[in-house]
Amino acid sequence: MRPLALPAGLWQRELSEFLHRPRSLAIKMLFPLAVAVPLLHSSAPAFYAALALTMVLATMAPLGAGAVLARERTSGLLVRYRLLPCRPLLVGMERLLASAGIDLIQVTPVLILLMLDHAGTEAWWPALWLGAAATLLVGNVLGALASTLSRSPGEVMLFVLLPTLPALYLAGIFTPFQDPVHLVIERLLPFSYLHAAILGSLAAPSQMTTSTAALSALGYLAAAVVMSLLVGGRLIEADA
Amino acid sequence: MSGIDLELGAGELVAVVGPNGSGKTTLLRMLATVDAAAGGTARWFGSSDRRSPRVRRRIGTVLDGTPHFEEMTGYQNVWFFARRFGLSETEARTRLNVLLSWADLGAAVHRRVREYSLGMRQRLALVEALAHAPGLLVLDEPTLGLDWTGSLGLVETIERQRKAGAAVVVATNDVHLAERLGGRILFLDGGRRVGEGTVSELLSGLGQSQRVELTFRSPVSLEHLIALPGVCGGESSPLSVRLLVDPGVDPARLLGELDGAHRLLTGLEIHRPDLGDAFLQITGRPIEAVR
Repeated sequence: MRPLALPAGLWQRELSEFLHRPRSLAIKMLFPLAVAVPLLHSSAPAFYAALALTMVLATMAPLGAGAVLARERTSGLLVRYRLLPCRPLLVGMERLLASAGIDLIQVTPVLILLMLDHAGTEAWWPALWLGAAATLLVGNVLGALASTLSRSPGEVMLFVLLPTLPALYLAGIFTPFQDPVHLVIERLLPFSYLHAAILGSLAAPSQMTTSTAALSALGYLAAAVVMSLLVGGRLIEADA
Repeated sequence: MSGIDLELGAGELVAVVGPNGSGKTTLLRMLATVDAAAGGTARWFGSSDRRSPRVRRRIGTVLDGTPHFEEMTGYQNVWFFARRFGLSETEARTRLNVLLSWADLGAAVHRRVREYSLGMRQRLALVEALAHAPGLLVLDEPTLGLDWTGSLGLVETIERQRKAGAAVVVATNDVHLAERLGGRILFLDGGRRVGEGTVSELLSGLGQSQRVELTFRSPVSLEHLIALPGVCGGESSPLSVRLLVDPGVDPARLLGELDGAHRLLTGLEIHRPDLGDAFLQITGRPIEAVR
């Protein structure tokens, strides 16, 4: 626990704060479970369960990151990050990776529940974890971008939901698409791979193979790391 | 900002003095590499790349209202910044022990920062700025929230940093702090340089003048006093008049000019002029200073 007692990195600082605020920790860990447990232990059709869980993961990261980063900007904390002896884009990326990592810890119980829900779905597990990680990191990048355009956490919600909700629709999580144009668009969005992996983990039919979903999610995760680098610089350098 | 031409060598100190809104913070944010210089150039340790880690590693900054990690203890905060600025664990421990002893935070250093007073936060920010022994120290209103012992301690600490070779830039509208710090003074007003020199050079422009302050128990309007012969400057507020007068002027003569207001007079003080008077003489405007 020493690195957390005396944090020297942003991830250590974020993790330390996450773990040392019991009330906040309980809320953060219980919220995804409060959505997942009833869905997984009821007779809800797998398609709707996958829809709801994908929406939770796709919206919690940008809303959470956007609101926190908007507050950090207003308080001047991001200016302090700017003055660290490290390139702003690296500091920004470190901040976003730390935030996405904590989001992943937050949804880990839900992912474990999904893995345990149906026997014989092990082939979907890599896609499930990679899809969740990619979705959360993309969400954090989007939240960071929204925070640079907003003056308050309230505005962040608007800037986050405006692109996210249509993107969720276009990712085919509400209605499966059949026509080629929509299918191409669907495959360009990271949520579709997470959605497919959740469906697969629930032993429901999916339009993707396990390897397509896993490799594409991995590709998206790599792309999200690059995006976090680009947006990270803007995040740290933008003024309130 | 315009007309600013500033060069600092090792061990030099510049106090940037001016009223609120004069551009002090803008100048310091630029010197601290927070913002780019608009329409000019700035170089730090030979580099014009303000984002360079090499440059930023050598700068210690306290900006107005420096934020901290509220949920972490004071020690965790200073440790984080000391380590991020390149100190090893051993160096950080040694250096922080010395600085925290100066900052006199006592056992509070292990409490969460959200429980800190304004003065404690300011002392913590100073420790964070000094921990990595910066070559350039940029301090915006560093005495904000400090009591007089804290301010005196700060002056001594700055002096030690200068002796160790650090260049120091301090922005303040506390003319007494600027005088105590010594070094060069840069007067700013409306984003422009309006005066520069040592304390004695700036005060020498006032000759043997003296400052006469009259205070009243209820509002008076005595702006005509500023136009009297022998009065070379002044400022008037409802409850006081501050006049810069030639040495030959008898303060008793001023009392004779008060008309009916003499019945409301509660005090008359005669002072040696300070940097605030020098600024007033140059600009015709007072520094809303802590005097």
